[in-house]
Amino acid sequence: MTYLNAKGEPTEALKNVSFNIDKGDFISLVGPSGCGKSTMLRIICDLLQPTKGEVIISGYTPREERLSHSFGMVFQSAVLFDWRTVRKNICLPLELQKMSKKEQKKRSDEVLELVGLTDYADHYPYQLSGGMQQRVGIARALALDPPILLMDEPFSALDEFTREKLNDDILRIWRQTHKTVIFITHNIQEAVYLSDKVAVFSPHPGRLSAMVDITLPRPRRKEMRYTPECNALVEHIRGCFEGV
Amino acid sequence: MKEKKTNKTISIIVCLALLMGLWEFIAFYLDKMLKDPMAVKKLPYLHSVIAKIFTDFDSLFSAVMFTFTKALQGFAIGSVIGICIAIFMSFHKSLEKMILPYMIVLQMIPILALAPIVYTVVKDSGMSRTVLAAFITFFPVAVNMYQGLRSVDNDKKDIMRILAARRITVYTKLMFPFSRQYLFTGLKLAAPSAVTAAVLVEMMGSSEGIGFKILSSLYYGATGAINFWASVVMASLMGISTYLLVVLIEKLTTPGVITLKTFKRRRGAENEQS
Repeated sequence: MTYLNAKGEPTEALKNVSFNIDKGDFISLVGPSGCGKSTMLRIICDLLQPTKGEVIISGYTPREERLSHSFGMVFQSAVLFDWRTVRKNICLPLELQKMSKKEQKKRSDEVLELVGLTDYADHYPYQLSGGMQQRVGIARALALDPPILLMDEPFSALDEFTREKLNDDILRIWRQTHKTVIFITHNIQEAVYLSDKVAVFSPHPGRLSAMVDITLPRPRRKEMRYTPECNALVEHIRGCFEGV
Repeated sequence: MKEKKTNKTISIIVCLALLMGLWEFIAFYLDKMLKDPMAVKKLPYLHSVIAKIFTDFDSLFSAVMFTFTKALQGFAIGSVIGICIAIFMSFHKSLEKMILPYMIVLQMIPILALAPIVYTVVKDSGMSRTVLAAFITFFPVAVNMYQGLRSVDNDKKDIMRILAARRITVYTKLMFPFSRQYLFTGLKLAAPSAVTAAVLVEMMGSSEGIGFKILSSLYYGATGAINFWASVVMASLMGISTYLLVVLIEKLTTPGVITLKTFKRRRGAENEQS
């Protein structure tokens, strides 16, 4: 995968990356900035087209999957539409599907409950805290019930407490909805705590330097963050960076 | 919050009173202290101007309304044209490069020079008022609207892409609501200028409207001076009210800002939280 940078020179963003993700897995991509994690995610959901290579999602191309609404995307910032209430933000994907008002209400109620924002349906984004805004972003991504949830450093702009709270929430949502989650982070501990597998990326050019299976038992609980097993895995992944 | 607003109102009233007092004082100074025989022509008493506005209210008001409707027509037409140009330019960068320089050149033509040309072409003073008001309006509207359309952040566009939204939907659901604020900035800039343009056309040859009143009052000595100031005050009020009209429309159409329903709901939510 190469693309043109701001100066118009081709930049190699990703090279020889190949991995499989099983349906229903929670996989994290970790790595320092500039290692092509986000590029990878954007290729998966057809926001970028690779110059070489291909992504296959249960037999279909990313483009086909995008057009059939297989992806929910959550960015680092919530990217809410400020002129819409929480509910209307969540209804956006439903409106585009020409869903009836009644169905929209029903579906948005379900998703609001899933992210715990039922009481804030009529608030505007600016009235919410950063963590709550991100919940709305997650709710919007889930609105059409897509099989794949893509998250690009969704919690990195939040404070430690909110982040840990949302970590547990996303695990609960994942358990309840059986989504395949591809999660980008630069926080190794977060990646270990959440994932079944952690893909370690290294930069210049971006490549996959290790794929680590996380053997911690499910369901994950807060205490597990500080167990020796967890620390050992974090250390192991950190070692993958120092090796290159 | 409420206290702040009252303070603001008080400071505006105090400032206005001071200015009116100053006007009255200068007029008094010219008239009684300097014994200037031309005092009335230079600056008549404010109270006599206000009295004039009240006695002549009917004729002044109908003149204002005449100009106002023409200016408003032009303003509406110019806004629509401006919005269309902005949307067109937003389709592709090359379209902007093609159109924007010409728009800037057009904007550089002095309106004073343009008025007679427009008048010769359309051969109707009412019509040329509308045309010039539209001409003045379209540029700030187009530029601001275009700025708004360009400022939509890529993440928002990506959200729409992942949802496989059609181009037209991207505009209706994202681009237009996002550029609203920018559009209103343009409209607020344009509104008083549209009125000025209409008044200007009247001053260049017309038999109706507030511009005509301003010009004609200049020919009649002392009484004319009071007429003149009364007309100028009315014309200024007209400019201000067009601006306020735009502000009002903006407030009324802003989602969740002014409608009583959301206001009440929000108040309720705040009380619950505290």
